[in-house]
Amino acid sequence: MNIRIAAVTILRIALGVLLVVAGALKVGHALDLAASIASFRLLPPAVVAPLAIALPFVEIFVGLYLAIGLFTRWAAMLAALQFALYGVAVASAVLRGLAPNCGCFGPNDRATADWPHAAFDFALALCATLVAIYAPGSLALDRRISTQ
Amino acid sequence: MNRRALLIFSIVALLVIAVVAIVVVKFQPTQQLQNASTAPIVAPASVGSIAPTFSTPTTQGEFDLATVKRPVLLEVFATWCPHCQYETGVLDRLYTRYGKQIAFIAIPGSTTDITGTGPSSQEDVQGFIDRFGVRYPVAMYDPNLSVAKAYIQGGYPTIAMIDRSKHIVYLKSGQRNYASLAGAVKHLLR
Repeated sequence: MNIRIAAVTILRIALGVLLVVAGALKVGHALDLAASIASFRLLPPAVVAPLAIALPFVEIFVGLYLAIGLFTRWAAMLAALQFALYGVAVASAVLRGLAPNCGCFGPNDRATADWPHAAFDFALALCATLVAIYAPGSLALDRRISTQ
Repeated sequence: MNRRALLIFSIVALLVIAVVAIVVVKFQPTQQLQNASTAPIVAPASVGSIAPTFSTPTTQGEFDLATVKRPVLLEVFATWCPHCQYETGVLDRLYTRYGKQIAFIAIPGSTTDITGTGPSSQEDVQGFIDRFGVRYPVAMYDPNLSVAKAYIQGGYPTIAMIDRSKHIVYLKSGQRNYASLAGAVKHLLR
């Protein structure tokens, strides 16, 4: 296995596990997630509520597909889009002075908006993009599933 | 299972997740989820503008902004907010030092109680006062949050300072320490 394939494999599985764990931690905490999303003041309440319910399951779904290497390119692109959107949301909150580190935005709000957080999200988006470009790596179901 | 079947299954699964989420919110909405989905408003009040006038009963008698002669320090708080709970100590110190020169008033600004799960009430506000030893005047709980909505700046606590000519000279959201607020108060008293 060459270095590039090994790196893509490690990144793919790590991102997949990260998304599964992140999603699993959010399941059953729709209130917390809704307050966090609402605190960024980017989406109307009518969108926030269903997003808070669906997002954990989408993260688990995408994470699982990344981890097992199924439809890797699509899963990685979805993950990259998601992380990029998170980074943009956090960055915009910081720029708009909404950094909630010293204030409360909702009884369940746990959001943290600062530049390191935004940078981390953009870094994850970059990793997911690399996985999408060099997909699927090894140990991937994509290599075994037929095209019939 | 071949690739095409897996692809169809994947798309259907994602669609099912989305549809279920929308259906749950639409047909079984909970007040808590709706409250959590709405961030606190940003009132149109701003530094330099005339402070929205109001009158409200408080723990220390009626407060009427129109007739108060002293400068005013106003806080919008939520009982569940840990930053507001911290701020009670800061505001108590300021009240001890400047209570004769400045009129203090704290306004309950959330319909959620101290546990973060139930509705707020006058009992909830009184419990907050007792638990944190609040000595400055606190407005009676208003379920319409009419005064809070005139001042809140998107989060708790929101602190406003109003000079003798009823202009807002300080308006910030978020926890502040004693030194920061004391500096602003000295400026208010000039």
